[in-house]
Amino acid sequence: MNNTIDSRLHALDAVRSFALLLGVAFHAALSFLPGTPPGAWFATDNSTNQFLGDAAFVTHIFRMSLFFFIAGYFGRLLYQKLGAGSFWANRLKRILIPLVAGWVILSPIISYLWIKGITRAFGGTLPPMPAMPAGFFPLGHLWFLYQLLLIYVVVISVRSLVARLDPAQKLRGLVDRAVSGSIRTMAGTFTLGLPVAAALMSLPFWIYWMGIPTPDMTLMPQIPASVGFGTAFVFGWLVHRSNDALAAIAQRWISNLGVAIVATGWLLHSMHLEPMAQPGLTKTVYALVFGVASWGWVLGLTGAALRFLPNYSATRRYLADASYWIYLAHLPLVVALQMWVSDWPLHWSVKYPFILVVSFAVLFASYHYLVRPTFIGALLNGRKYPRNSGRKPLPPGSTPSPASPPPADPINGGAVAQLRGITKRFGAVTALNSIDIEVRRGELLAVLGPNGAGKSTAISLWLGLIEPDAGAVTLLGGEPQDIARRRGLGVMMQDVEMPKELHARELVALASSYYSNPLTVEETLKRAGIAQFADRPYGKLSGGQKRQAQFAVAICGRPKVLFLDEPTVGLDVQARQALWKSIRALLADGCSIVLTTHYLEEAEALANRVAVIHKGRVIASGSVDDMRALVARRQITCESTLTADEVRGWPGVVDVSHDEARLKITATDAEGVVRRLLASDAKLARLDVRQAGLNEAFTELTREAT
Amino acid sequence: MNSMTLSLNDSTLAAPTSRRIFAAYLAETRYELMRQLRNPGLAIPVLILPVGLYCLFAFAVGAEWIAKDANVGTYLFAAFAVMAVSMPALFGIGATLAVERDSGLFRLKRAQPAPAGAWLVAKIACGIGLGIISYTPMVIVALASGKLALTTAQLAAMSGALLTGTIPFCAMGLMVGTLVSGSAAPGYANLLYLPGCYLSGLFFPLPASMYWQTPIWPHFHLQQMAMHAAGATKFLREPILMAVASLVGYTVLFSAVAIWRLARKG
Repeated sequence: MNNTIDSRLHALDAVRSFALLLGVAFHAALSFLPGTPPGAWFATDNSTNQFLGDAAFVTHIFRMSLFFFIAGYFGRLLYQKLGAGSFWANRLKRILIPLVAGWVILSPIISYLWIKGITRAFGGTLPPMPAMPAGFFPLGHLWFLYQLLLIYVVVISVRSLVARLDPAQKLRGLVDRAVSGSIRTMAGTFTLGLPVAAALMSLPFWIYWMGIPTPDMTLMPQIPASVGFGTAFVFGWLVHRSNDALAAIAQRWISNLGVAIVATGWLLHSMHLEPMAQPGLTKTVYALVFGVASWGWVLGLTGAALRFLPNYSATRRYLADASYWIYLAHLPLVVALQMWVSDWPLHWSVKYPFILVVSFAVLFASYHYLVRPTFIGALLNGRKYPRNSGRKPLPPGSTPSPASPPPADPINGGAVAQLRGITKRFGAVTALNSIDIEVRRGELLAVLGPNGAGKSTAISLWLGLIEPDAGAVTLLGGEPQDIARRRGLGVMMQDVEMPKELHARELVALASSYYSNPLTVEETLKRAGIAQFADRPYGKLSGGQKRQAQFAVAICGRPKVLFLDEPTVGLDVQARQALWKSIRALLADGCSIVLTTHYLEEAEALANRVAVIHKGRVIASGSVDDMRALVARRQITCESTLTADEVRGWPGVVDVSHDEARLKITATDAEGVVRRLLASDAKLARLDVRQAGLNEAFTELTREAT
Repeated sequence: MNSMTLSLNDSTLAAPTSRRIFAAYLAETRYELMRQLRNPGLAIPVLILPVGLYCLFAFAVGAEWIAKDANVGTYLFAAFAVMAVSMPALFGIGATLAVERDSGLFRLKRAQPAPAGAWLVAKIACGIGLGIISYTPMVIVALASGKLALTTAQLAAMSGALLTGTIPFCAMGLMVGTLVSGSAAPGYANLLYLPGCYLSGLFFPLPASMYWQTPIWPHFHLQQMAMHAAGATKFLREPILMAVASLVGYTVLFSAVAIWRLARKG
């Protein structure tokens, strides 16, 4: 459970930092827009570009809504975790202090640049100032912190009110279902934008390009921004409330992005025809489509992140930590660079990347040396990292940040890999039916079962190739999708053909390159016993040699858990013995192994424990001795006048069945039973005694299990 | 042998150093390239065909036109260069990926701790690398025979444009490789690729009545981009930004189909 929540937080953290870093790219593009009236931005470049303008517009559709959506999610998370008092203390530190301090430090610089830029734009004289809005206050790009604080106040007040009015959580339960339903059906994508569309429609003077007008000139709450970003925040808050809303967002990522792209295409097209909103139908439709595009991007990008960036990554963690500082500090630097290069006789495609590269270089350097290891980092991100720690994050514990790195050693109870309560269906077929299996440290678990029993499905789950419909999979104490866990596994699959053009040695070298601390290639070849044919193309090897080469690939990374799916199929006796020897050496080395096989003697020779799977259920598990007893049973068939019921009670008889004229007896003491059969029935004919095969053992076990 | 302790802090599970990650990318690319070069069925037609066709057209079919108008030389060179750089990308990636998916290798790769996207980087790098191997002999032939009247800067700009232009074809290869089986991949790739060569006018100038359909083909946009880069003054049918935007659009489209398919089927 914690793992899933953590993985969500990693993804959402990535989205938030993306929205913030995108803001830098957005502001850097603003001097390159064609047709900007003088004074609308600090500088207008002599090389403008429509494409850059369009790209900036596209990011502007969603980046702030995305930020407020994630802020809403984390807002509730923090409120639940800290309670009201600590929540406000935390927000004061992280939001209010940066707002005030940032404004005090940055606004003189920004004002200076603004006056300089505007003077230049109007040919050396300062133009008369336009009328200022009520409550004029130049918040600049820090408006979003102010807006966030306003939203916190309103949302937390409403929350207390709702908690009082709805003590049984009926209303809230309804809302939770509505939230996840609206995401699953994609109704949310189309309706969440309605409030902001209404607010935009009512604006007498709306420039399409601006989207939601930025409330950066006044402390008076502005309706479009409060409605638009407020909706985003509240929806983020509600998504955190609802149990399955995030999963629905992850599932619908591609549809939402599709909607966003189509709606954005339409917006761009219309904007080129008519840049200023005219009253009437066009404005209404534009406002509605704007809302759809905005939510398509917000939900689509969040979903894509949940889908593709679920894991902890040191780089993304670093970026997430750095992004807040970078966004706060970027504006003066970006603007100064824009003003500096605006007269250069160079193409925008040189100047724009130049501004980005220099800005990010300076901003990241300032973060790394001035913020990350100092009290500023502690203030902004809740922790500081010691100098010279590079990109390595500290172990968690002291970190109040919602997303923390994986714990250091979470393996408990000696189990290195577990399937708990796993159900997995493929269409109408239930491959695994609420099964529990675990592999303990240093043991070899043999998983036996007839074809189609679910053995390979179990292995695929452990390898993170498929996800269960129900239940939890752990590998080395974490999720199998986590690359750090996968570094601890080796695998030999069934039905895999390696590239036939490469030599076995090259295959091993390639696989070794994935691991942190692999064996040397020579050592791997030696341990797998394939040195003598290591320089032949894989395509020219015999079936058995191919399996041995695959075994070499599986063990080259010094695995902690090794999955061997039918490893000895197609091997001759010698090769099989050699493989067994290698497996024993790995066990002696502390490696845990899961082995699926048809061959009982293989399980007998190697396994500490055996689990038998049949039709998706574990029908027997135990030590090798238990299994040996099972296999010691023999099958006796004969034609006899005796009935099944007569024989059933005899000592040594496990099971009897009668079909047509033949009697089928499963016995632990075959000799005794045969002696008694012959004595009891003089006409006994066509006597046949044989070792019960695995199939009989399975059939019998199944019958016993049901 | 030392006994191993089981802890996430130990060297086996620790994140590899950036040097090892870089080495993993390099190994993946190197072995991908070796694989494709060792596969004669793939390497020979893809590497020989474009330069062979170029020789045929430049020396036999179109020699007179080139002598009259240097722009024809640029046009022909750009056309076959598009073939040279796009074929390895499309066929190399499409066929190998389809085979990998068929043979279970792709599943195995997903289970192994390869750096994310290493296989993709390898395939794209390999597509571009083979493109260079296929393109270089054409440049040598064209320059040595004087069939191409470009300054060094123009040739460099054109080569840069062509090699960048392999990326949409890499994406096309990915799409084909994720959609069809290994044995069918070359067939489907040809079905997408060859009509495009003809209908975008790579092999012969098209009548104006067929211009309407050329923007469908990525080949057309790449040739236009290459000719713009070479500073050609004739046979330009769309502005360079349009060509670039179309190629970016195709890259996004093909990649999206491939990602969608991989996410659903693996």
